Amino acid sequence: MCLLELKAISFGYQAAIGELFDELSLQLRQGECHLIHGSTGSGKSTLLKLLVGVLSRPFSGERVCQQPCSIGVVMQDPNVQLLRQTVGAEVAFALENSGVPSNKMIDLVAHALRQAGLYVALNTPIANLSLGQRYRLMIAAQLVSSPQILLLDEPWAQLDNQGVDELTELLFELQRRGMAIVIVEHHRGAFSQCVTHRWMLSGGKLISYQPCDEPVISVCQLPGLNRRRDLSLLAPVVVSKALTLQFNDNKLLFHSSGLNLYPGEVVALIGDNGSGKSTLLKALAGIQSDIGALDLNVLGVRPKLGRYGASLALLHQRPSRQLFESTVIEEMQFSLKRYGLPIERGIGMLTKLGLSTLANLSPHTLSYGQQHLVALASLACLQPKLLLLDDPFAGLDSRYVDVVVDLINELSQQGCAILLSNHRVQPQLAVDHYWCIAQQTLRCYRAESLAGEVALKHCDGMVSDGYQDVG
Amino acid sequence: MRSLLSTAMAWFLMVIKMWVKRVKTPFFDRSGRDRTSPHYVVRSAKLCALCIVATLCCASGAFFVPNTALIPLLLINAALLGHGRYLGGRVRGLLLLFAIQLLITSMLYLLLHGVERLHEGGLAVTRIMLAIIPGWWLSIVCTPQRIGEVLSWCLPRKWAFVMAASFSLLPYMAKETREIYQMQVMRGANITAKALCYPKHWPELIYCVLYPLLIQLLKLSKQMALAAKLRGFGSHKRPTHWPD
Repeated sequence: MCLLELKAISFGYQAAIGELFDELSLQLRQGECHLIHGSTGSGKSTLLKLLVGVLSRPFSGERVCQQPCSIGVVMQDPNVQLLRQTVGAEVAFALENSGVPSNKMIDLVAHALRQAGLYVALNTPIANLSLGQRYRLMIAAQLVSSPQILLLDEPWAQLDNQGVDELTELLFELQRRGMAIVIVEHHRGAFSQCVTHRWMLSGGKLISYQPCDEPVISVCQLPGLNRRRDLSLLAPVVVSKALTLQFNDNKLLFHSSGLNLYPGEVVALIGDNGSGKSTLLKALAGIQSDIGALDLNVLGVRPKLGRYGASLALLHQRPSRQLFESTVIEEMQFSLKRYGLPIERGIGMLTKLGLSTLANLSPHTLSYGQQHLVALASLACLQPKLLLLDDPFAGLDSRYVDVVVDLINELSQQGCAILLSNHRVQPQLAVDHYWCIAQQTLRCYRAESLAGEVALKHCDGMVSDGYQDVG
Repeated sequence: MRSLLSTAMAWFLMVIKMWVKRVKTPFFDRSGRDRTSPHYVVRSAKLCALCIVATLCCASGAFFVPNTALIPLLLINAALLGHGRYLGGRVRGLLLLFAIQLLITSMLYLLLHGVERLHEGGLAVTRIMLAIIPGWWLSIVCTPQRIGEVLSWCLPRKWAFVMAASFSLLPYMAKETREIYQMQVMRGANITAKALCYPKHWPELIYCVLYPLLIQLLKLSKQMALAAKLRGFGSHKRPTHWPD
């Protein structure tokens, strides 16, 4: 049974730019799972709004929805959908608005949370949840009202591997019950077990494609990706003999037997949602205030905000928050001026990244991927000694991922030590070490001795024998 | 007067009762970590209403009671402060605010009126703090949605929702402010505590932190409105409430 149909939709934000959708058509039937793939700025999020029926501007064509038809949506950033303070109240919001009696809510909410794989108490403050856990919470908040159609915006980027596996199982079960699912995603191979239709959003149309049969390549098998260099002669930029990262209220995140990060080294910090990756990066930058004292030296001193100047840069999650200037080039030159560095580096960096045409545009008019790149470029042009990147590939399509990878490689060759956090191994990126957080322990592995898959297995709790800690 | 006293007594007893019955709900996240959530001990809407009334009385009393009645009010506020701290609230921000206000006000009084009236400046700052502390305590013991539920008894539901959503946004916006501030300090903005001692750097704080924060706030309010609409807000004539 067809639940929702888009018939020959044409739509554009600005006539001068051209149409975002050109006679676009789509049919959603019970039990189907559609994966819509497309590059940044191709209109994926707009398509979701169109499916939901909240597109604020007029469009030509027809949107036909079976009545009554309820639609659940989980947007890319779960933080902007949170309306309440505690887990139970957040999930119950839809029930409140449907007039469900209070005494029936608890069972329904608990069931939805279990479905979404979030096993926490109902009065848990949402502030205690990690980003991935919040994504699950938002899924539960949709499932509680049993929608006929579920729309998900880029879940793969937000969730760790275990989270993706759990979500795949959940989607499979929901499909079996007749729910129609639409997933908008950069990653083509995600959720392959439950996807029934694959679409590429390109040129304003949805083009059907078959799953590619590319073999899964081990990180170790990729030529020239992992490198072995003797860095022991250099003075490390990060030194810790023994590190225990825990909050002031004694909540332990992880402990480690020791960490060293050398100039020019690229280290991937890998762990599940909530394992402490962001906290470690902030601790290294000296901006995580609610943790205990650390035996940690960064660039020869104890980390503290404002101590390092241009020598240390940190790219936060959602880096577009740091943008405030009127033009992209002013944004690039802001830090250069403050630190007395040559301002020509700004335009040089934009040219290198292929963004020079954006130099005089407002950063707030750019796409998500472009804003992300501008924020990264504004830090990279400082040529810091230590660059910390918190989930730098989140929400980026393959084109932008390649640009970021090239930039990381170049900075590394210039002697910049780079520590980047991610849920999973980024196969395109050459790294020297993996720092894997699992079971409240951070272990350090050489890239050449440990395939990314094995590192991930360790992170999933499957520790392989025969690999040496080198931390 | 007698009813006022009985209300105050009931409220005091309620605070004591909540203190004794401090709610500590252990739970385990996926990694098996034990965490504890001591906040939001008031679950009943009626009790929440009583807390709101008491908070309003205390806060307004800070401005209207004569100096002779300040001691009892101080004691009540001290109890609230202790209770809030016991439940996990952070008093550091309050103390910092008090110290900064006291410093600036004392300096102004010293310049304008001399040493003789310095104590008046201290009194004014104390009254302001006495007006703030009950609100701080209320935000610790009652969830914004429970406050919203109570407000919906006397306000249109949409207004009550907007007010509750605004309350719940405060911690998030405080976190955003801190993170944006840290980002800009690391990018070289002259907005460190030391730099802000010089008024010439104050505009940079507005430009680098408040401007991006305002953009975030505008985006967030629009997206929250959409999120509420998509989850059926306003679609039912008699919405119910989560029992906590």
